[in-house]
Amino acid sequence: MVLEIIVMVKQVPDSQEVVIDPVTMNLNRSLTRNVTNSADENALEAALRIKDKVGANVTVISMGPPQAETTMIECLARGADRAILASDRFFGGADTYPTGLTIAATISKIGKFDIIFAGEESSDSSTGHVGPGVAEFLNIDQITYASSVDYEDGYVTADRELEGGTETVRVPTPVLVTVLLNSNSPRMQTLRRKIDAVKKGMEVWDHDKIGLQPEWVGVRGSPTIVRKMRPIKERERAAKKIDVAGLGDLARELYEKKILKLEEE
Amino acid sequence: MAGIKMATPAAKPEEYKNVFVFLETREDKLVRPALEMIGVGKRIADKVGEKLYCLLLGGNIKDEAKEAVSYGCDIVLGAESPDLSVYRTLPYSKIISDFVKEEKPNIFLIPATRNGRDLASRIAVSCEAGVTADCTELDIEQDTRILSANRPTYGESMLAEILCKKHRPQMATARAGIFPVPDRVKSPKGEIRINSVKVDKSLLKKEVLEFKKKNAVDLTAAKVVVSGGMGLGKADGFKLIEELASEIGGVVGSTRPAADMGWISRDHQVGQTGQTVRPRLYVAAGISGKIQHIMGMKNSETIIAINTDPNAEIIKYSDYVINADLYEAIPALVNSIREEKKKLAPAAGK
Ligand SMILES: Cc1cc2nc3c(=O)[nH]c(=O)nc-3n(C[C@H](O)[C@H](O)[C@H](O)COP(=O)(O)OP(=O)(O)OC[C@H]3O[C@@H](n4cnc5c(N)ncnc54)[C@H](O)[C@@H]3O)c2cc1C
Ligand SMILES: Nc1ncnc2c1ncn2[C@@H]1O[C@H](COP(=O)(O)O)[C@@H](O)[C@H]1O
Repeated sequence: MVLEIIVMVKQVPDSQEVVIDPVTMNLNRSLTRNVTNSADENALEAALRIKDKVGANVTVISMGPPQAETTMIECLARGADRAILASDRFFGGADTYPTGLTIAATISKIGKFDIIFAGEESSDSSTGHVGPGVAEFLNIDQITYASSVDYEDGYVTADRELEGGTETVRVPTPVLVTVLLNSNSPRMQTLRRKIDAVKKGMEVWDHDKIGLQPEWVGVRGSPTIVRKMRPIKERERAAKKIDVAGLGDLARELYEKKILKLEEE
Repeated sequence: MAGIKMATPAAKPEEYKNVFVFLETREDKLVRPALEMIGVGKRIADKVGEKLYCLLLGGNIKDEAKEAVSYGCDIVLGAESPDLSVYRTLPYSKIISDFVKEEKPNIFLIPATRNGRDLASRIAVSCEAGVTADCTELDIEQDTRILSANRPTYGESMLAEILCKKHRPQMATARAGIFPVPDRVKSPKGEIRINSVKVDKSLLKKEVLEFKKKNAVDLTAAKVVVSGGMGLGKADGFKLIEELASEIGGVVGSTRPAADMGWISRDHQVGQTGQTVRPRLYVAAGISGKIQHIMGMKNSETIIAINTDPNAEIIKYSDYVINADLYEAIPALVNSIREEKKKLAPAAGK
């Protein structure tokens, strides 16, 4: 039986050009370009390497608005076999709970799965909570913050990068793995695959197709709400210019102002 | 598939009382973010006259339970078993979720470390709670006992205040290095409740084969940090960074891409996905000042940037700007500092 791999990918605003509407304090989506969340490209690459090694069916899924199609096509063009976009006006405004719920329900609807990949976090929400949430909904084990992933005979072995060191773990499938940003180099899309990808296209599933009640998902299904947003004001700093000839003066100033001390405690 | 259902609001939110914090350990020793959680948890509990419960799991945790009490914890809820001596998602989330369902806390705080985030979301789903990730400000409203969970968003330019009004507990993960480690209390009188537990075999399928410790540099406690970025151009550049750091009693930091390149190990990384530092002096050499790096060092008391680009973003976060090639500026700076030291302590100089 062929291995079934699912990859969770999210389309996010390009972090280099985020524009905040000064009135609503929300993201101005019309001025911001959308891209595939970088860590999710690493997640897809990790899946495709397992496909190269032992053969697998790789399905990418995303919850998001219709314009996420560009991301879905891109994933197909890199080598995914199937793309499903969970898209529905009821899904909007979801916090991590209904996001995980919608994705988990979509995966259940697909049926069999052996490994689910996600990114370590999304660049716009940066919670890292959606992956583990999906694993809890599906009642399976997980490996988070993986820098390398290998699959053999029903087991996934991975290195996890933690604050104090690297942990190597081995888990029988089914398992969900979240992959570190930049942990591999995602392959390019080939022209031939791009043409095939556009031809193949993505499937769009709404709440009805997935089997979700409208009040379970999106903003209505979210335990948390944003009460307000305020700009973070940084302390003004002098940015005093020093040239190389002035480094002697700088050294004196650092000791005078006790920014440097002769004895560090 | 069991349990794919919406989060049901708490029928009686007023029945949920007290503050839980998860005490993360490594080799059965509390890690620094655990102490930070005790501090913030205690402040919130005190404000509404409730108790601080500390959750401690491990192989042998009696000493660390006493530690937690010495920092102000009112009740330690412990679970002890050889199977819990290393963190594993399933046994930890099951045992902790059971504690939550039994004790019904109003608030539950978990450090936003990697294992903390691994855990928090599973508990939130299992307990049908609301969770806010990576908070940098946490407070409670006295009359409503609603948690005000604040987290930076939109590339750290905005702070979002997030509430969870109907679901319980109100959960949050707190960014490490932001909340101060509390002082020890004078006459600690917390209660310790540790149970030996038997962990269900089905939760233990994950094998932890190895843990390769990094000679963990704790940047968060450093008074002086000297960091290098891609402007170093090569791994060797870090020798220069080390030289400056050792001259001024500092530790070495890096940006993420410099660590990605393998120029230096990951535990030196400062920023969103590295450590958050607030030293007396931070030197940023060959670092452009992208927001993910800035968020890890912007609260440093004094910041010096060394950069060839007069328009680098780092400049607006800097007190001093050396607009020069770091390969010229750092050796010159090291020299100036040596000279200055000689002047200040002639006896100590050679
Ligand atoms: C989800 C996510 C998480 C991230 N987390 C982190 C994180 O935790 N920490 C982090 O640092 N980054 C993080 N990043 C990456 C971040 O966005 C930037 O890419 C990174 O901080 C840039 O690193 P840098 O300044 O070393 O390199 P660059 O941006 O390439 O800057 C190099 C700088 O060196 C200067 N320079 C070049 N030559 C010299 C010279 N000879 N002398 C002096 N100056 C010179 C250049 O002018 C330039 O300003 C993250 C990104 C994402 C998407
Ligand atoms: N709307 C979504 N659709 C598909 N995958 C998602 C979505 N949101 C988050 N993810 C996945 O979960 C990971 C963590 O996201 P986050 O919890 O938002 O930081 C991402 O890297 C994605 O793999």
